[in-house]
Amino acid sequence: MLLQQLVNGLTLGSTYALIALGYTMVYGIVQLINFAHGEIYMVGAFVGLFLVTAWNVNLGLAMLGAMAVCMMLGMTVERVAYRPLRGKSSRLSPLISALGASIFLSTLMALLAGVNTRRYPAIVDLSSYSLGPVQVSSMQVIILLVSAFLMIGLHMLVRRTRIGKAMRACSQDLEAAALMGINVNRVISYTFAIGSALAAAGGVMVGIYYNAVWPYMGTMAGLKAFAAAVMGGIGSIPGAMLGGITLGVLEIMGVAYISSSFKDAIAFGILILVLILRPQGILGQKISKKV
Amino acid sequence: MRRKTARKWAVVLCLVMLLALVAGCGKSETPAPAEDTIKLGFLGAKTVKNANYGIPGEKGMKMAIEEINAKGGVLGKKLEGIYEDNKGDSREIANIATKYCTVDKVAAMIGDPATGLTKIAADIAQKNQVVIFSAGATGTGVVEIGDFVFRNTLLDKFAAPSVVDWMINTKGWKNIAIITSLNNGYSTALTPVFKSAIEDKGGNIILEESVNDGETDFTAQVTKLKQANPDVLVFTGYYTEAALIMLEAQKQGLDIILVGGDGLYGEDLKKLGGSAVEEKVIFYAGFSADQPSPETDAFIKAYRAKYNEDPDMFSAQYYDAVMIIAQAMEKAQSSDPKVFKDELAKLKDYPGVSGNTTFLPDREPLKSPVFLLTVKGDKFPALLEKIPTSAPQV
Repeated sequence: MLLQQLVNGLTLGSTYALIALGYTMVYGIVQLINFAHGEIYMVGAFVGLFLVTAWNVNLGLAMLGAMAVCMMLGMTVERVAYRPLRGKSSRLSPLISALGASIFLSTLMALLAGVNTRRYPAIVDLSSYSLGPVQVSSMQVIILLVSAFLMIGLHMLVRRTRIGKAMRACSQDLEAAALMGINVNRVISYTFAIGSALAAAGGVMVGIYYNAVWPYMGTMAGLKAFAAAVMGGIGSIPGAMLGGITLGVLEIMGVAYISSSFKDAIAFGILILVLILRPQGILGQKISKKV
Repeated sequence: MRRKTARKWAVVLCLVMLLALVAGCGKSETPAPAEDTIKLGFLGAKTVKNANYGIPGEKGMKMAIEEINAKGGVLGKKLEGIYEDNKGDSREIANIATKYCTVDKVAAMIGDPATGLTKIAADIAQKNQVVIFSAGATGTGVVEIGDFVFRNTLLDKFAAPSVVDWMINTKGWKNIAIITSLNNGYSTALTPVFKSAIEDKGGNIILEESVNDGETDFTAQVTKLKQANPDVLVFTGYYTEAALIMLEAQKQGLDIILVGGDGLYGEDLKKLGGSAVEEKVIFYAGFSADQPSPETDAFIKAYRAKYNEDPDMFSAQYYDAVMIIAQAMEKAQSSDPKVFKDELAKLKDYPGVSGNTTFLPDREPLKSPVFLLTVKGDKFPALLEKIPTSAPQV
C-alpha cells in the first residue's frame, strides 16, 4: 500500500508542481502573486475539453491547443489587468486586480460552459497495469512523464536561452535589467505565457485523469499550488517543483496513514512548520530587502 | 492626455455598470400591484452550487403556481412567485430570505433543497413570522427551529434505516465502509444516521473515510478502500463526488456497490460517472417517475409537455409544496402565515406527486414509500426497488 500511495502522491504532486511553476516564475520577476493563475489552469482544462469534444483530437493536440490558448490568455491578463498598474501604484493594487481577474475568468466560464462538472471523453485508456503490488494507470505515467519533460524544458529555457537569461536578469533587478537594454515588458509577457502554458498542460491532464472539469476547479488547485510554491521557496523554480511534489505526497500520505479528515490540515500544517523553520521556503534564497 | 482619456473611460464604465445595476433591479421587480397577489419566495440555487436541485425545483414551483392561477388562484387572489438565485451560498440565502420577508412580504418561502441553507433561512422566517416550507432538507434540526418551519421530503431518519435493513437483511451486505464529505452539512448529518442504523441492524463498519466537496483526488481513499474490501460502500455526500469516487474505483480495479441518500439524485451522476456508476450506485428518494400513481402520472405528463424533460424529485417536491400551502390557505381562509400555518400542520395523507405525506405531531413529514434508484443504461434515475418506510412509533 505504501508504494501505491506513493504513486498516487507523485501524480497529484506533479500536477501541483506544474501550476506552482507559474506562480513562482511570475513572483520571481514582478513580485506579484498572480491569483488568476488557477483560473488559467481551469481555462486550459476547458479548452482541451472543447478540442476533444468538437474535433476529437488526441491528447497531445488537445494539450498543445490548450497551451497555445492559455499562453495568449496569460499574456492578455497581464496586459489588461497588471501592466497598467505596474510601477504606478502600490504593490497591493495588482494583487486586487489579480483577484478580480480570477473571479472574472471563473464566472465567465460558468456563464459560457455552465456550472456542472464535465468529464472528458475517453481519449486515453484509463485502465491500470499491475507492477508488482502497485497499480499504475497509463494516465499516471503520462502525467509523470509530461510533467518531468515540461519541467526539464523550462529549466533549459531559463538556463540556456537568451530569453531565459533576460528572465533571470529581471528577477534580480527589474530596473537594472531595463537599464541594460532588456525589454522588460516583453520578458514579463513571456513569463506569463510560459507559466500559463504549463498550467494549461496541467489542466488538461488533470481533467482527463480525474474525469472532472468545472469552472471553479482553479480556486482550490490554485491555492494548493500557491502553497506548494511558497513551501518550495517562492521565486525559485526547482523550489516550486519540489514544493508541489512534497505537498502532493504529504496529502496522500496523510490520508493513508493518519486520517482523511485531516488531509488539508496536515498538508497546510507542514507548510506552516516549513515557513516557521525556513521562512524563505525549502529552496528559497534569503532575500536581503532592497532599500 | 492619456490620463484624461483614461478618466473618461472610467466614467463611462461606471455609468454602464450603474445602468446594468438598475436594469438588473428592474428585472427582478416586475410584480403586478402588490395587494392583489399572494407572494411565494423561491429558495434554491440556479448557479454555482447545488444548481441541479434548484433549477428543477424552480420549474416545479412555477408549474404549480401557473396551474393554481389558471384555476382562479387562492382565495380569489393570484399567486406570484419570486425567484432569486442563492447560489448555494449561506450568505446569499440569508440576504435573500431577509429580502423576501421584509421587502417582498411573502406569505411563504419554498426551499431550500439543502438542510444547512434551509436552517439559515428558517431562522429568519421564524423571526419574521413567515412560513418556510423546505422541499428537500432531509437532515436533522430543521422543524425544531420553530412553528413556522415545515418540510416535505423523505427524511433520512426514516429512509436510511429502511435502506440499511435492505442492505443487510435482503442483500447480505454486512461489512460496510462509510465515506463522509466533511465540508457538506448534508453528508456530516447523514453519516451518524447511517452509522446508528448499521449498528442497530447488526452490520459492521470496517472503514470510515472522508473527502471534501470540490476535490477531485480520491486516489488515497480508494486505495484504502480496496485494501479493506467491504461488501458495500455507503457514501453520504452528493452526486459529483460519488461519481468521481466510483471512477477512481474503476481505475483501481475495485468492483463495489455505492449506496447513498437523495444527495446522489442528480443527472450529473450518470453524465460524469458513465460506466463506473451503472447499476453500481444505489440511492433512495421519495420520488420516481417509474410506476407512477395517478396523481404522479398527470404531473409527469404535464411537466414533460411544458419543459420537454422528465421531472425529478425536486421538481415534484417544490410542486407539492406550493399545492400544500395553497390548500392550507384555502382551508384557513387566510393567506396570513400566522393563521394558515396551523392548518398546514394538520396535513394528513396528502396524495402528492412526490408520494404520500402526513405531518407528524412534531411537524415532521412521514412519506411513503422509499424508492431505491440506480442508473441503468441511458436511464436516470431507474427504479430498482420499492421498499416500505420504517415508520416511527407515533
